[in-house]
Amino acid sequence: MEFVRPDSIEAAVAALQAEGAACLAGGATLVAMMNADLVAPERLVSLRDVAALREASRRPDGTVVIGAMRRHRETAEETDLRDGQRVLREAAAQIANPPVRNMGTIGGSCAFADPAADYPPALVAADARFALAGAEGRRTVPAGDFFRDWYETALEPGELIESVILPPAPAGTVGSYTKLARVAGDFAIASVALALGMDGGACTHLAVAVGACGPVPARRRDIEAELLGGPLGNAEIGRLTDALAEAFDPVDDVRASAGYRRRVAPRMVRQAIGEAMQKLGETQ
Amino acid sequence: MTGEPVTLPVTLRVNGAERPVAAVAPWTTLLTVLRDELGLTGAKRGCNQGVCGACTVMIDGEPVRSCLSLALNCTGRDIVTVEGLAPAGALAPVQQALAEGNAVQCGFCTPGILISAHALLRRNAPLSVDEVRAGLSGNLCRCSGYKKIVEAIVRASEARP
Amino acid sequence: MTPRDTAATGVGASLPRLDAREKVTGRAQYIADMVRPDMLHAAIHASPLAHARIRGYDTRAAEAVPGVACVLTGGDFPDGRMGAFIKDEPAIAQGKVRYPGEPVAVVAAEDEETARRAAALIRVEYEDLPVAATPEDAMAPDAPLIHEGLADYFKVFPAICGGNVASETELSEGDVDGAWAECDVIVEGEFETPAQAHLSIEPVGALAEVDAEGRVTLWSANQSVFRVQANVCEALQLPMSKLRCLTPKVGAGFGNKMEPHVQPLVVQLALKTGRPVRLILNRTEDFETVRARHPFKIRCRTGAKKDGTLVARELSAVLDCGAYGDDSPGVLGYSLLMSRGPYRIPHCRASGKLVYTNRMRFGAFRGFGNPQVTFATESQIDEIADRLGMDPLDLRLKNRMEPGDRWFGGGEVASNGLVECIEKAKAASGWEQGRALPAPPGKRRALGVAACAHISGLLATGAIVRLLEDGSVVLNTGAVDIGQGSDTVLTQMCASALRVPADRVAIASPDTDGSPYNWGTTASRVTYTTGRSVVAAADKVAEQIKRHASEIFECAVEDLELRDGGRVGIKGVPDKELSFFEVSGRAHWAAGGPIVGTDTWVYNRPSVDPKRAVAKGLPFPQIGVYSFGCMIAAVEIDETTGKADVAEVWSAMDVGKAINPGSVEGQIEGGFVQGMGFALTEEMVFDGPRLVNPSMMDYKAPTSLDAPFGIHSIIVEAAEPGGPFGAKGIGEIGLVPVPAAIANAVATAAGTRLRRLPLTPERVLDTMLEDGDED
Ligand SMILES: Cc1cc2nc3c(=O)[nH]c(=O)nc-3n(C[C@H](O)[C@H](O)[C@H](O)COP(=O)(O)OP(=O)(O)OC[C@H]3O[C@@H](n4cnc5c(N)ncnc54)[C@H](O)[C@@H]3O)c2cc1C
Ligand code: FES
Ligand code: FES
Repeated sequence: MEFVRPDSIEAAVAALQAEGAACLAGGATLVAMMNADLVAPERLVSLRDVAALREASRRPDGTVVIGAMRRHRETAEETDLRDGQRVLREAAAQIANPPVRNMGTIGGSCAFADPAADYPPALVAADARFALAGAEGRRTVPAGDFFRDWYETALEPGELIESVILPPAPAGTVGSYTKLARVAGDFAIASVALALGMDGGACTHLAVAVGACGPVPARRRDIEAELLGGPLGNAEIGRLTDALAEAFDPVDDVRASAGYRRRVAPRMVRQAIGEAMQKLGETQ
Repeated sequence: MTGEPVTLPVTLRVNGAERPVAAVAPWTTLLTVLRDELGLTGAKRGCNQGVCGACTVMIDGEPVRSCLSLALNCTGRDIVTVEGLAPAGALAPVQQALAEGNAVQCGFCTPGILISAHALLRRNAPLSVDEVRAGLSGNLCRCSGYKKIVEAIVRASEARP
Repeated sequence: MTPRDTAATGVGASLPRLDAREKVTGRAQYIADMVRPDMLHAAIHASPLAHARIRGYDTRAAEAVPGVACVLTGGDFPDGRMGAFIKDEPAIAQGKVRYPGEPVAVVAAEDEETARRAAALIRVEYEDLPVAATPEDAMAPDAPLIHEGLADYFKVFPAICGGNVASETELSEGDVDGAWAECDVIVEGEFETPAQAHLSIEPVGALAEVDAEGRVTLWSANQSVFRVQANVCEALQLPMSKLRCLTPKVGAGFGNKMEPHVQPLVVQLALKTGRPVRLILNRTEDFETVRARHPFKIRCRTGAKKDGTLVARELSAVLDCGAYGDDSPGVLGYSLLMSRGPYRIPHCRASGKLVYTNRMRFGAFRGFGNPQVTFATESQIDEIADRLGMDPLDLRLKNRMEPGDRWFGGGEVASNGLVECIEKAKAASGWEQGRALPAPPGKRRALGVAACAHISGLLATGAIVRLLEDGSVVLNTGAVDIGQGSDTVLTQMCASALRVPADRVAIASPDTDGSPYNWGTTASRVTYTTGRSVVAAADKVAEQIKRHASEIFECAVEDLELRDGGRVGIKGVPDKELSFFEVSGRAHWAAGGPIVGTDTWVYNRPSVDPKRAVAKGLPFPQIGVYSFGCMIAAVEIDETTGKADVAEVWSAMDVGKAINPGSVEGQIEGGFVQGMGFALTEEMVFDGPRLVNPSMMDYKAPTSLDAPFGIHSIIVEAAEPGGPFGAKGIGEIGLVPVPAAIANAVATAAGTRLRRLPLTPERVLDTMLEDGDED
């Protein structure tokens, strides 16, 4: 095993081209797996010294770019994330516990793509894009396409995540992240990422992504689009949760049964929308 | 691990002192180096998976898991372990508070708890019970039920000048 | 940190732990912190299979790894067997494996990484045997036999066993079958509790070293140096005089470090290599190969009259023993003894079966079967109260044991603080305002109660108190402080008995060479049993001090008294006094010889009175003195998810006398949170014989955010005659009522009752949805 610590994205990408090379970000997942003898990369490419990956910025139009090496704690405190984008702050704040949030990064979490992790649904609900860098150059991939299957992403071998790009959220929208876990800081049994806007009883913005209920976050843009412009009453929310349930593909695991996830997730969606509407001063 | 081990010499800054270590393999964690190479056994190995918190140390002023930090990735950082919280023979206020508040039972979680508490106490304001509970949520204690630990840290935060 | 006068440091003072400073500075040494010169590191090769015959080993690849000193397999061990009740367990798998995770080979090497790498290279040829993963499987007519030699194993009690049934126990009083006809209301149900992991944050480990004469010194994470010595010597067929057991600091026990884990393995490696050998299990190994709380399946039936008078109870339990007996027969017997609870129920029968399976061994865990049984019985007390429209606390008070009443089986009960526990918990919790509590939208809140009892006692113990030349004192008991604070508490008792400040008493670390026997830190026993010996030994020292003083002052011994600060003087004559320094000096250099007080005893009050009760296959004839408790928990349920959380809890526990109130609270608080984990989130999940979640990532104990801050400890002191300063134990009882109290609160809040732990969001939501009072 070899250890390298490049100081630029280009050098990191170059180092990653070797067979068996892997990025080392916070190490919260990778080192845990190495300790358990589950993986043994031939080359560890530490991204610690790549300054560009550690930055976050807000563009004048409200787009927020978060470097792959931003740690969960920093994202949880990111004041540049506003309105509906706050879904990401709330998700980051609910990951694990303070020491792990001081280590783990958004790039590492998304590259690992644990289906029960908190960023994937939040990023899908925020309509985020991933900026990837590889030997072939750079590209961006929408979050909805980035997460492909159980622990599988759109990353090609030798490619790394450079940043996550959140489009501006319409002013006045709210973002929220609700997580059900066995104990504080555990991975989710189920989670709901939400961005919502209402104007005079009519829905102006709606994005709901459900986590931990299948290989990738569940989202139904088609139904969301149909609900725009109208009220969000029990019937409308029911349409959305029914449609979402069709997108679930949960499994039984030590955290809960698949059946429970199917039962509880729609209830959590309903609850999350209700709370967001209250925040917006709307009645259901 | 596969392949021939490639080891490197490193120097780590631990509790204010430069500590050279002759040969460190890429997969060797900071916890292993602290305990086996530097004789600093204050940080404990409870799970080696980042969950229990017994190995928590401070890196550049923030509590992190030493079992998940590769030693080679810690060069140039400022590492503080429980042994570095106070000069030899003295106790930091938070150590004093835990010891006097009956907040130490078996003590295996204590070094990690102290590091998390130390980080909380650097925010110079009295801490609420809920702030302390949140701040300690990454440090499992199987003995105490947490109450006396939380009380002791709140008390330590109130006692500051 | 240590005030100087006796009153401030002796009995009744919340003296900080004697080792607190060592622990907060990181200087306390636990087993994994110990290093000996030229030490080897060991690793185990564990069985991947649940049940298989071992056909052969290939250790060549492991032995060829540079740095490997020694590889041992079954044939390299003497074929002795150990076991607290049934001697059924070899030091390492012999001939066959009985559970996944059982050590099959062990490697010692220059460093741990090498040892682990080599252990992974060992190949074992197995012949699969049919697997019995559950007690039901194991009791089926065609079940594979897990212990072919069961009939021939040595047993320390008249065990009723056969097939895969390791032990069957029954205890009865009155005419149960005839009594149901007298009942106006009968509740009946099946209760189920899962395996719970002890999850001491310190994984187990041991270090052995052989001297030039071949005598072994063994340090290990343990709860009794004497049990370690006995187990290792039985397994390895060593004379006990050849093994000295010591203890470093122990990172908590809860039962998992009472009986053996890896100690026999390191001793054998040390004997074979002649070098010190240390073995520390990693967390997964610790989960898979140490031990856990027994899964129980309980059928329980309780009947009462219309006015609430309890009439009859029948309880039968099936316990998964796992692959080896360990402490299991004791757990079964004890749980049955506790199955009547602290009540008058004239007709009672409790029976149980302990069944070998191909799962990891189950054993002692804080509560020793009592939390499981109390979950069932205290749930039924609430069910009866609901059926009769009575207040559950009134029903409990109405049926409580009265002074002079005997325990189930006929054991005498000397002190009983139950009523005070109930009254105090009731007042503090606001019970009178009703069990259903106001809750924010989307939540439900309710109070739940459980009462309970537990023992402190069992077996042998001793103390040696010696006056040093300067008049200070050294106390030696052999009791291991596993973090619960016994060193501090015993020191306080010794200090008070001799009227010296606690910092004038040193406490010796347990040593099988030098300490008097102590069965172990278990059964909530150290404060009560060892405390008694400490006081008795200190009294003997006091007598000798007075004898010296009477000779010097030429007065009667009866005219003398001990005075604070380590002095002896003539009653009523303040200036006629001697310091312990003067007395001890005389004893050492001039007359009488050094002053040493020694006391040993074995707990001997019978648990069963054959005139009252019939007992079959009961392993404990003499269990201990009784403590009582009452817990009221305020639980909040989230209506969306079904997740239950404890908002606040009042735990009133009768400890006889709180020697160190801060430590007592620590036991109540810690016991509550561990019990809350058992009730709400902790479950070792098995797929057939295999544990699916042997990691802290997958097995979830409460964090500081899950545990309520509002844990209100209410200390009740119903002095135990014969207890040291009136004290009895507190180590376990605080956990015992937790699952029942939480389940009773959940039943009130949810509207229906759950009889299976843990009360996961899934189970709670499903019961609320079935109840149909929603959506
Ligand atoms: C105790 C504990 C509790 C946790 N609880 C939660 C939780 O509740 N919710 C949650 O979401 N997560 C949780 N996690 C996971 C945590 O968020 C991790 O930080 C995260 O999954 C991995 O991030 P990392 O930066 O540590 O990545 P690493 O561990 O360094 O790397 C993870 C993987 O990503 C690859 N990688 C890293 N960076 C990049 C990059 N820029 N481009 C391409 N590939 C990259 C690595 O090669 C590796 O395969 C928990 C972890 C622990 C230890
Ligand atoms: S040992 Fe590092 S968190 Fe448990
Ligand atoms: S004191 Fe034992 S784990 Fe915290």
